[in-house]
Amino acid sequence: MMILLVDMDAFFASVEQAHHPHLRGKPVIVCGDPGRRGVVTAASYEARPSGVRAGMRLQEARRLCPDAEYVEGDPAKYVGLSLQLLDLYTRYSPDVEPFSVDEAFVGLGPEAPTLERAAEIARAIQREIDLRFGLGASIGVGPNKLVAKMASGVEKPRGLTALDPEGFRDVFWPRDIQTMWGVGPKLAERMRSLGIKTVGDLARAPLPLLKSEFGIIGPQLRECAWGEDDTPLVPYHRGLDAKSMGHEVTLAEDCDDRASLEGTLLRLSDQVARRMRGEGYVGRTVTLKLRDHRFVTVLRQRVLPDFTAEAERIYPVARTLLNANWNGAAVRLLGVSVSELARSGEAKQSELFASEDRSQRLREALDRVRDRLGEASVVPLGTLVHRRRLSHVPFGMPQARTPVSRKPDASLGAPAARPGRSARRGRDSGDPP
Amino acid sequence: MVPGNNVFESLSDPIDVIGAFLEGRIQPLRFRWQGRVVRVRKVTGQWSRREGQTVLRYFAVESAAGESYELCYDPRSASWILSRAWTGRSRGQG
Repeated sequence: MMILLVDMDAFFASVEQAHHPHLRGKPVIVCGDPGRRGVVTAASYEARPSGVRAGMRLQEARRLCPDAEYVEGDPAKYVGLSLQLLDLYTRYSPDVEPFSVDEAFVGLGPEAPTLERAAEIARAIQREIDLRFGLGASIGVGPNKLVAKMASGVEKPRGLTALDPEGFRDVFWPRDIQTMWGVGPKLAERMRSLGIKTVGDLARAPLPLLKSEFGIIGPQLRECAWGEDDTPLVPYHRGLDAKSMGHEVTLAEDCDDRASLEGTLLRLSDQVARRMRGEGYVGRTVTLKLRDHRFVTVLRQRVLPDFTAEAERIYPVARTLLNANWNGAAVRLLGVSVSELARSGEAKQSELFASEDRSQRLREALDRVRDRLGEASVVPLGTLVHRRRLSHVPFGMPQARTPVSRKPDASLGAPAARPGRSARRGRDSGDPP
Repeated sequence: MVPGNNVFESLSDPIDVIGAFLEGRIQPLRFRWQGRVVRVRKVTGQWSRREGQTVLRYFAVESAAGESYELCYDPRSASWILSRAWTGRSRGQG
């Protein structure tokens, strides 16, 4: 089986350039609200020579690339397009595994018995992406996911690199150890201290040394350095169970107000619980993520006595963790996640008290309202109190519901000015209708 | 004032649209905003977003004058919203 890894080039920025011709050929930086602080979500290839990178503070990006066009990102747009791209891939093969919002593995069966034939299909996919969406993609082709993934990064943008194991060794063995998929900065540093500086060094490193230094992953990494990988491709229609679910938010402003932080935690807990119920999960371990204004990040977790998918149980734990671990410094980011997940049917209690039964029926009714009318239709009261100050947790973009005068106007040729109709969208995209 | 250009206005303006419904697809052709008619030269992108049971249809369009807009069609009320605009001028300039 041959595998492709399709990696959309500078996806978010390229989407904005494709949709808005005046941005083409210019440095484009996609971010949160450009009028506020935040970080760079994506930078176009034109912005990259200035040193702008995803994750960089906006303030720093502005200093490096003052002439860039700053565009507020639209996650719903990128997800929508990502789903359209997955549809496109499935017309070439049913075996498509999304790897991230802008990357997907495509498994090719008997229709691509050779690397050359797989590369032809990859080229056809590239052409169709360009034709239909006006976007560039770099594709790696290989006999397994590891080779495909690493090959996709060899030539960018709009690159196509097909490697067999021998080609993999030729290309990657001379490269720095950190180019290995799965080797991050810390692991690379440890390897360098042992004299393992390149991928080739790792491939030739003695197994006992790797085992003693890195445990079970040592020998696995050496196999990877030989271009070997037997990780199965899991098509998304046969998806794996999630390991955890969470939401986090970078606050519009650093915040040291306890009540505001607790209001945000309630919103995050509600979102997590809602998503868990929607996907049929319950979980036991609640984790709080707390990042202060100096970028110091704290992760703390607590295990519940039993499984839940209720915000009423997740939130108090998250709040307790906040109160126990917050030193009063202004907070930049808050996150709540739940792990140790199980399918809700498998972990369900056999007997429910009447009051729990009523709560559950109420929750199910509220879920049905949200399913029908959208997330913003019902939100916990406690999340509204501080929304104007902290704003940022999206429940879905509000649409103007103002009744519009619909006078017949067949031509739209002689318009009457309608001053004052514009309603600049609030920064809080969670305003309920 | 920070350097860098904030190129878009984020809006939520109800607008009147003339469009074509062709082979199951919607194609906005022109719309009226701030008292003027904008002719759509090209639909440069389309995507959708689910809000409850409703699928909102979004369109990125380029006007004949080279401006960029994003429109949203809400099938619940058969209404259109202008969600983003880049006209190369501030709103006060009409």
